[in-house]
Amino acid sequence: MENQHVMIEIHVNRVPYRLTVDPSTTLLEVLRRDLGLKGTKRGCDQGHCGACTVILDDKAINACAVLAVQADGKSVTTIEGVSSGEHLHPLQEAFVEEGAIQCGFCTPGMILSAKALLDKAREPSEEEIREAVSGNLCRCSGYVNIVKAVQKAALAMRTSPWKPSD
Amino acid sequence: METFRLIGKSFPRRESFAKVTGQARYTDDIDLPGMVYGAILRSSHAHARVLRIDASDAEKVPGVLTILLPGDVPGNLFNCAGNPPSPILIKDERILTDRPLYVGDRIAAVAALTPKACQEGLDALRVEIEPLPAVFEIEDALRKEAPLLHPDVSQTNIFKKMEARKGDVERGFAESEHVFEGEYRTPDVQHVPLEPVSCICDFSADGSLTIWSNTQTPFQDRRVLSELLGLAENRIRIIKPATGGGFGARQQIHNQHVGALLSRRLRRPVKIVNTREEEMLATSARHGSICHLKVGVDKDGTLKAFHAKVYLNAGAYCTHTNIVLAAQTRKFQYRIPHYLYEGYAVYTNAPVAGAMRGYGNPQLTFARERMMDEIAKELGLDPIRFRMMNHLEVGETIPAHTFPLRSCGIRECVAGGEAIRRRIDEEESAPEKRAGETEAWGVAFCCHTSGPSNNDGMSSCVVLVNDDGSVNLCTGAADIGQGCETTFSQIVAEELGIDLGAVTVTAADTLHVPYDLGTFASGQIYVGGNAVRQAALEIKERIRVALADHFGTTPEQVGCEKGRFNLIPGDGKKVSLSFRDAVAKISFGQKGTTVIGRSSFKAVESPLPFAVCWAKVVLDRASKTVEIRHIIEAVDVGRAINPDIVRGQVEGGIGMGLGFAIMEQIECDRKAERPSSSDLLHYKIPTALDMPRVHVYIAEGTQEPTGPFGAKSVGELPAVPVAAAIANAVAKAAGEPVNVLPMAKDFVFRGPQGFRKAEREKGPPDDKR
Repeated sequence: MENQHVMIEIHVNRVPYRLTVDPSTTLLEVLRRDLGLKGTKRGCDQGHCGACTVILDDKAINACAVLAVQADGKSVTTIEGVSSGEHLHPLQEAFVEEGAIQCGFCTPGMILSAKALLDKAREPSEEEIREAVSGNLCRCSGYVNIVKAVQKAALAMRTSPWKPSD
Repeated sequence: METFRLIGKSFPRRESFAKVTGQARYTDDIDLPGMVYGAILRSSHAHARVLRIDASDAEKVPGVLTILLPGDVPGNLFNCAGNPPSPILIKDERILTDRPLYVGDRIAAVAALTPKACQEGLDALRVEIEPLPAVFEIEDALRKEAPLLHPDVSQTNIFKKMEARKGDVERGFAESEHVFEGEYRTPDVQHVPLEPVSCICDFSADGSLTIWSNTQTPFQDRRVLSELLGLAENRIRIIKPATGGGFGARQQIHNQHVGALLSRRLRRPVKIVNTREEEMLATSARHGSICHLKVGVDKDGTLKAFHAKVYLNAGAYCTHTNIVLAAQTRKFQYRIPHYLYEGYAVYTNAPVAGAMRGYGNPQLTFARERMMDEIAKELGLDPIRFRMMNHLEVGETIPAHTFPLRSCGIRECVAGGEAIRRRIDEEESAPEKRAGETEAWGVAFCCHTSGPSNNDGMSSCVVLVNDDGSVNLCTGAADIGQGCETTFSQIVAEELGIDLGAVTVTAADTLHVPYDLGTFASGQIYVGGNAVRQAALEIKERIRVALADHFGTTPEQVGCEKGRFNLIPGDGKKVSLSFRDAVAKISFGQKGTTVIGRSSFKAVESPLPFAVCWAKVVLDRASKTVEIRHIIEAVDVGRAINPDIVRGQVEGGIGMGLGFAIMEQIECDRKAERPSSSDLLHYKIPTALDMPRVHVYIAEGTQEPTGPFGAKSVGELPAVPVAAAIANAVAKAAGEPVNVLPMAKDFVFRGPQGFRKAEREKGPPDDKR
C-alpha cells in the first residue's frame, strides 16, 4: 500500500489545481513545495506557532496540521492571494502603516487569521481580534501594532468595502 | 532645535510591501538547482560516550547521498560565537562529537534528495551509546561528585571567574548604616524567533563556498568558518536573506559547518533547516543564573557598597559566556563608591547558552532592581525617589566603564512615565474593586549599551552615487527585523538632501559590502549609523571638490547647506544646486567623476541608553491569581531617528520581558535526564491574549553627542527591566518577596480582563504625543 498517490483538486487563490499527492503530504508541503507559494511560512510544523496559517474555505487553519487530501475539493487563500494585483488589501495596508511588521515571518499567517475574522465580523471588538490572532505567535512586536492594524483595517473596510478583483 | 526632513520621522520599513505580500525571501524560501537536504543526528542523551556508529543501513536508504561521522570531519576545537576574536572565547566544541554533552549535541549528519529521506537516513543510523551522569543545575555542577565536563579546560566545572572592582566593598559595608543581602534566580530561556535556523551551503567546483543563512553576524561567521575549514576569507561568501528574528540566537554558528562539509563532499548545494525541536533544544539559550547581592546604604538611602556574585549556567560549551560575564560588569547605573562584581561561568549538560537580548543584563537587573525595592521598603523611601537620588548623571562614570556619560534622559523618562501612570490611575480610580483583590504598581530602572560595552564597535560603509543622483548604500550590517536598513536610509537621505526612495540598500553579503562587526550589543544605530553618516559626509566633500574643479574655483568656496551646494564662480553669478543637479554637473564630460563615499567607523565609546518600566498588577489573594493590567516603559535612546521603529522595539521588548517574568523556562526532567521543553506547547511564549495594555514613552529631550544625529541604540534595552518591574508589583501586592523567575511557579497568571469593556466604549488610549 506504500506510496499510493491520490489525486486531489484544490482551488488556491482562485486558481484550480489538480495534483497527485502522497496521502501523508501536508497542505503546507503542497503549497510551498509543489505550488512554489513560499509566502506561507513553516515555523514549527506542529500546529503550534501559526506561521503557516491559510484560509481553507472560510476558516483560518494551520496548513502544517492539515493533510493535502483534507483540502480536496476546497478553496485555499494564501498570502499571495490576499491583495488584488496592484492593490493591497486594507489589512496589508494597515500592517504597513501601523508598523505591525518587524521581522515579517509571522506576518502572512497573522494577516490570514485577521482576514478570516474580518470576512465574518464587520466590527470586531479588541477581545475578538486578540482571540482571532491568539494562535499566531509573534516574538518581535508584543502584538500591540498588530491589534491596532486589524482595528484600522476593520474601520477602513466599513467605510469603503474592499472588492477583490478576480 | 534643529529641524530635519527625515530624521525623527516615522517611515514604514523599506521591505514592508514584500513582507505583507509574501514576497520577502527567507532562507528556506530559496531553492537552488541541484540542491539537496541535510539533517543532523543529535544526541538524545545529555551526557554520553558514542561507542560505535553503524551506518550501513542508513547508506542503503533510497535517496540518502552521504553520511558524515565524527571521524569524517575536521576534529579541531572551535568557539561558535559570532564575536570578534578574543582569547577568553574558549574553543571547546567540535563540528561532530563522539562525546555529546547535551541533548541536541551533533553526532553525525546525512544528506539526501528529500527531507523525508534525510529523516529516514537518520533513523537508520545505529548508534551504540554509553550514557554518562549528567548535571543540569548550577549547584549540581559545583558538587564534588559532579562529572567533570571539560577536563581539558578546567579542573572544576567553573571555567571562568570574572571580576570588576572599584573602591573597597568591605570598607563600604563597614561604613554603611544598613546592609542588605539577597539571592535571586532566573531560568534558562529560549529566544524563539519564528523562523528556524536555516542555511544553504554551496561549495562550487572551484572550491569556494557560498552560504545563505539567517545570521546576525555574517563577517564573524566567515571568520570562524575560514579557520575551521581552512579557506581564505575571500573564498567564503555569506549572504543573509530576509531574516525572521534573531534576539541573539543568530549570533553563532549552528549548522553552517555541517552543511558546508556535506556540500564539499557532494559538490551540490545542501539546505539544512532546524525543526522546532532542534530550535528548542539545540540552539543557544539565555543563561540561567543565581545571583547573590549584598548592598550597603547610608541612613538617608545613599548607596555605599554593592557586591554581586553571579553564577551563569553556560550549558555544555563556552560560546559567548565569558563575554557575557564581562558585559555584566558594566551595567550599573547608580552612583557607587565601592563596587565588586564577581561572575562565574559554569559548565552543565543543560542546553548551551549564548547571546540573548540583554546579554547578561536581564538577569542582573532583575536581582538589582528587586533588591532596590526591598531597600526602599525597609528605609521607608519612595522606590522612584530612592533610585533617582542614587542615579548617575552626565559627567559621571559607571563602574568598569572607560568614559563618562555624555547624555542621560532619566529624569524625562521618570516624568513621562509617571504622567502616564497617573492618568491610568485617574481613569481606573473607581473600578468595581472586588473583595480579596489588591492592586499594586512596581517599577524598575536599567541601563544598557550602544554597541559592545568594551567599545569594540566597528562598522564600515560604501555609498555609490549614481549619475541621476540616486545612491546605493552598501553596508555590512544585518537587518534581522529591527529595521536598520530603513533607519540607515533615513540617515543617508537626510545628510545628502535626497528622498528616501532615492536610496537603495545592499546589506550583509560579504562578497559585496564592507566589514561590519555584526548585529549584536544593540550596535546598529550607534555603530552602523555613525559609519553610514560618515560615508554620506564624505560624498558631500567629494562633490564640493568636483564642483570646484568644474566651475574653476576652490572647494573652500563651495558651501553646502540644507541639501544644496552653493558657490559663486568666476562670472560672479551665484550657483545653487540640489544634490541631483550637482551630481549631473560632475558626472560626465571632460571633468567627469564618479563619487563614492566610504567610511570606517571605530567606536571609542558605547553610550548608555536608559529605561524605566512600570507594571500594574491586580492580585486575587486567595487564589494567588495575578492579572497584569498595564506596562509602561519610558526610554532614553537619544534622538529616535524613526520613532515608530523605536516604539515597536520597546513594545516587543515588553512582550519578551513579560514571557521571561511569568512563564518561560527550559525545564529539565531530572529523571529522564533531558529537557522537556521541546516544543511550543511545553514552552509557552506570550500570545496576543497574554499582553497587558502597553504604553511607551520616548524621551525626546536628550541627544547623545557622539551618536548619529544624537541617537543611541534601543534594541535590547526594553526587554531588560520588565521582569523586575512585574516582580516588584507582585511582591508589593502579595506582601512577599518574589526573587525567583518565572513567577508562574508561585502565582497563576491570567490575561488582562478589565480593559475590554471600557475600550469598546472609549477606544484605546493614545500615548503618542
